[in-house]
Amino acid sequence: MDFFIQLFTDPVTFWNSHTLLIAQIGINSIIASSMFIVLYSGQLSLAAPGFMAIGAYTSVLMDIDWHTPLALNIAAGVVLAGLAGVLVGLPVLRLRGVFLAIATIGFVEALRLGVILNLPITGEGLGLKNPTADPLGGVNMVLASLLVVLFLMWRLTKGRLGAAWAAIRQDELAALSQGINVSRYKMIAFVLSAVLAGFAGGLEAHLNFFVDPGDQQYGVTRAVQILTFAVLGGSGHFVGPVVGAMVVTTLPWIFQQAHDYINVVTGAFLIAVIVFRPQGIVGRGGLAIIRPAWWPHRNRVRAPSPG
Amino acid sequence: MDQQILNAIFIGSIYALFAVGYTLVFGVLDILNLAHSAVFMLGAAVTYSLVVNHGQPFWIACILGVAASALMGLVIEHVCLRPLRRRRAPPIAALISTIGLALIIVAAIEQGQPGSFFAWLWVDGANSVAFPAGTFPNPIWHVGDMTLEASKVAIIPISIALMLVLGYVIRYTQVGRGLRAVAENPRAAQLMGIDVDRMISLTLVISSALGGLAGILFGVALGDISPYIGRDNVEVRGLAVIVLGGMGSIPGAVIGGYLLGMIEVFALVVLGSNARGGVAFAALFLMLVLRPQGLFGAQLRERI
Amino acid sequence: MLLRLDKIQRHFGGVHAVDGVSLEVEQGSIHGLIGPNGAGKTTLVNVITGYVPFQSGHAWLQSDKLTGLPAHRIAALGISRTFQNIRLFKDLTAMENVLVGMHTRRRDDTLAQLATLPVFRRDERSRLDDARALMETVGLAAKDIGGRPAGTLPYGDQRRLEIARALALRPRLLILDEPAAGMNPSEKQGMRELIERLNDDGLTVLLIDHDMRLVMGVCKRVAVLDFGRKIAEGTPDEVSTDASVIKAYLGTGGDKAVASAPGASAVGEAEPPIEAAADARPAAEPQTAILEVEDLTVSYGAVTAVRGASLRVAAGEVVALIGANGAGKSTILNTLSGLIRPDSGTARFDRLDLTTAKPSAIVRHGLVQVPEGREILARQTVLENLELATWGRRDGADTGQAHAGRASIKAQIEAVMKRFPILSERRALSAGTLSGGEQQMLAIARGLLAKPRLLLLDEPSLGLAPQMVDEVFAAIEEIHREGTTILLVEQNALRALEIADRAYVLETGQIKLSGSGDDLLHNPAVRRAYLGG
Repeated sequence: MDFFIQLFTDPVTFWNSHTLLIAQIGINSIIASSMFIVLYSGQLSLAAPGFMAIGAYTSVLMDIDWHTPLALNIAAGVVLAGLAGVLVGLPVLRLRGVFLAIATIGFVEALRLGVILNLPITGEGLGLKNPTADPLGGVNMVLASLLVVLFLMWRLTKGRLGAAWAAIRQDELAALSQGINVSRYKMIAFVLSAVLAGFAGGLEAHLNFFVDPGDQQYGVTRAVQILTFAVLGGSGHFVGPVVGAMVVTTLPWIFQQAHDYINVVTGAFLIAVIVFRPQGIVGRGGLAIIRPAWWPHRNRVRAPSPG
Repeated sequence: MDQQILNAIFIGSIYALFAVGYTLVFGVLDILNLAHSAVFMLGAAVTYSLVVNHGQPFWIACILGVAASALMGLVIEHVCLRPLRRRRAPPIAALISTIGLALIIVAAIEQGQPGSFFAWLWVDGANSVAFPAGTFPNPIWHVGDMTLEASKVAIIPISIALMLVLGYVIRYTQVGRGLRAVAENPRAAQLMGIDVDRMISLTLVISSALGGLAGILFGVALGDISPYIGRDNVEVRGLAVIVLGGMGSIPGAVIGGYLLGMIEVFALVVLGSNARGGVAFAALFLMLVLRPQGLFGAQLRERI
Repeated sequence: MLLRLDKIQRHFGGVHAVDGVSLEVEQGSIHGLIGPNGAGKTTLVNVITGYVPFQSGHAWLQSDKLTGLPAHRIAALGISRTFQNIRLFKDLTAMENVLVGMHTRRRDDTLAQLATLPVFRRDERSRLDDARALMETVGLAAKDIGGRPAGTLPYGDQRRLEIARALALRPRLLILDEPAAGMNPSEKQGMRELIERLNDDGLTVLLIDHDMRLVMGVCKRVAVLDFGRKIAEGTPDEVSTDASVIKAYLGTGGDKAVASAPGASAVGEAEPPIEAAADARPAAEPQTAILEVEDLTVSYGAVTAVRGASLRVAAGEVVALIGANGAGKSTILNTLSGLIRPDSGTARFDRLDLTTAKPSAIVRHGLVQVPEGREILARQTVLENLELATWGRRDGADTGQAHAGRASIKAQIEAVMKRFPILSERRALSAGTLSGGEQQMLAIARGLLAKPRLLLLDEPSLGLAPQMVDEVFAAIEEIHREGTTILLVEQNALRALEIADRAYVLETGQIKLSGSGDDLLHNPAVRRAYLGG
């Protein structure tokens, strides 16, 4: 509770003493947005950590070896992540549901275990040291980026692209019947998501003095964490995953006791949300007060063919 | 080289046993039970804890360990799966709820410290431990230039026996027919008087018992028991196995398990120890792209 | 000619779903495509619209070749469709559904959206206006339902909404796949009027349905499919009196030959709903019934499929439940089997409350359903299917046998196979390799092995060739003679009424009429609606 008290009564001190947390919330929010795009278009892709790794390593390596400016490094990371997005996205285009999820996990682990942990250039399992990291100053960049990303998400969902994605998520066949080129739009979503993840990875690397190839950074554990943001917050609205990211990232700071048991709490939340309120905290129509399951609101019912 | 092949067979047996449970649930329910790897770990952890912290004889501990895993299967069904079925949720939802349960199980073990809430279950926290020497008989034989530990060798007959028994039950008994009926067409099964809920519970119990046993065998043979053995060894590899073998196919899971064992050893020998991890997942990715139904799975087709 | 199809072929495995169909649709006309269930109508549409790849044959939309194009390109060329099972975007609002339909006509505004130019507001407003207008065209009040998720709308509105969405594409050709399925006669009339209105405005329509009455009423020309082949084509009059068409729809009805196809005499006229004829004897319902259904109301979400239905079945009777596709017949059976829970009402079988009992308990109590579409286990052998049927009797408690021994069960399986010799022949083959009729026999045999006291049969003749239908009904009569009580649901009203002691007529979820089989067979309204006069 002191956490909130300080937040509202003395924001400046709050900022100074919680800079790292705020930066992490920002990064997680950007990654959550990357997850939003694929989920919004109906693709259960867990590939984000892989693209983050590409963005992170590219950016840091360019810095260490060529001493190029940060903007260029991150941009390069983004471009490479996007390319990887195309390479991974094309072959998995016809996979649906669980199969897509598994394939993307395969990509993530193949990248981490097969490539990152083996190449001398990436430090071969020992990680990379990043001497020019800027954990405190980087915050501003992160937050500014987040605002831009949120704006992007907002406008995308309003346009023709967003409408097509929403249709594809609901029913690919029906979308086809309305002239929507489903494959093309799915690829766009996938690559865009890769780009955002690469960007987040590059930013995150800039905030840490050490790039760690472990499972918690770029492996399945991270993928699950990102999925949690989206499920908790709800992937029907662009704000949802961001809210999810904020809640999950901040939770251990609010409840100190929860710090150790954070995974138990997260796990319980996941089960509770998916059973009782699968549309997430934010739901589709925007922020709604959390209603109990029996509240008479518009139901998501399926009307099967009668008779 | 021969030693490596032998290792491939040992580890392949464990992969196969684990994957059989995974694929059984997928076949009957069309969902991926991502808590399966946590149950794998739980089997090993509980058995270890019973022996070391509660002084139980090894064989009793093993039986109780399997029982605990089977019980966890019931928990999975009642907490993660049945509520979703009642609400007619899509299969993806079960993916998420089982992930949630896995998080809880692993965290519970991870937080098991002396004096903590979970101390009765586990006290070694995040550490990796092994059964003390002498817990079970483990003669070592030398054949040619190979070293054979009984604990590792025993994996093979145990796994094969179990898989054969399961195969027999599924093919030739009334219960097996019931499971296959539910797998193929739950509605028809219900109309035939089969209690689908009970069949599903049974599936989870069998699957989790097998998973827990695989974990015990792992812990015994490889001397590595920690909260992370599921995640590090079988969580994603299990997926690779069932994808390779065909999701829903039990023979596929068996063959896939040994196949993966072989692939990894091959990668180890040819490409060096580092590539080992990545090869499995590259194989997984390729299989999904080229032949998503795996070696023995049914063709996936969508109805318009 | 707007649409030209040339010898379209499409087979799946060994089955020729579409076998060399050629067709021409004239610009500005309403062209009908009819045929019994399983004739290949929807498959043909799926091929034309690109969902299922062409195997041989060609298709043109005016000068545009459709063969080999992906589905979204064919749609963009100007063919839009509705689906047999309604494929709306269920969680999107009604308005959003229609707006998505405008996708091909909307410029790609991604980059411009990022700049939020005011141009967009104008664009968006005009699109919203268009969408509202489209909804009005199909008879939906945009004001009331525009903001509701499509999945929560009443059934009839959903069908109309799907049409509105299809119209948003501004198609050259609109394909309607069973648009009036599940509607009562007045709703069907409304749909008929809508189609005519759209056609008056210049839209070419290809209408697919198996309800002859609807198709005859609106179409200029009609093509008839059966088992994948075109067996007749011409004006509605020509087609409805064509002998091969009549045969395809009716099979041979015992000794009561019927002069024309169902509904043919109602060309161009609206059918009033079934009214009890003044001189009909009141339904002589039995005093003691083993099945009592009182005021049953069942809905799926927002759709009320069954409304206040009541019926009774006494031991030893054959009771028929007839009605059109979508009238609610299967819903009632599924509620009796415990697969769906009703909103209100009671259903009692013997002393068992069907509305709360578990499905497996209901089967053990002796109420066994042979479901629509047979639902056998294709991957298991015939023998395994039969062995499974004895599942509920393993514990034997309810049937009074302590442990139905393996030997006795084997004997019973042999007995059943004697009655259906074809099953004995094929006992080791996987059930999926049997023909439709054989599978139906297997399904009935399976139902019998469960030792039912009440056997529910859901559309046993569906999709079967006429001679198989004869065999199936002969089997049903035999079973009845041996004393099993039967509740029979059938679209084939003629056969059902012939063998039934009593019958109920179900229309849009309500029991409209009941009486003895004979009475209903001669009831003029029933004859007109279900028997072709």
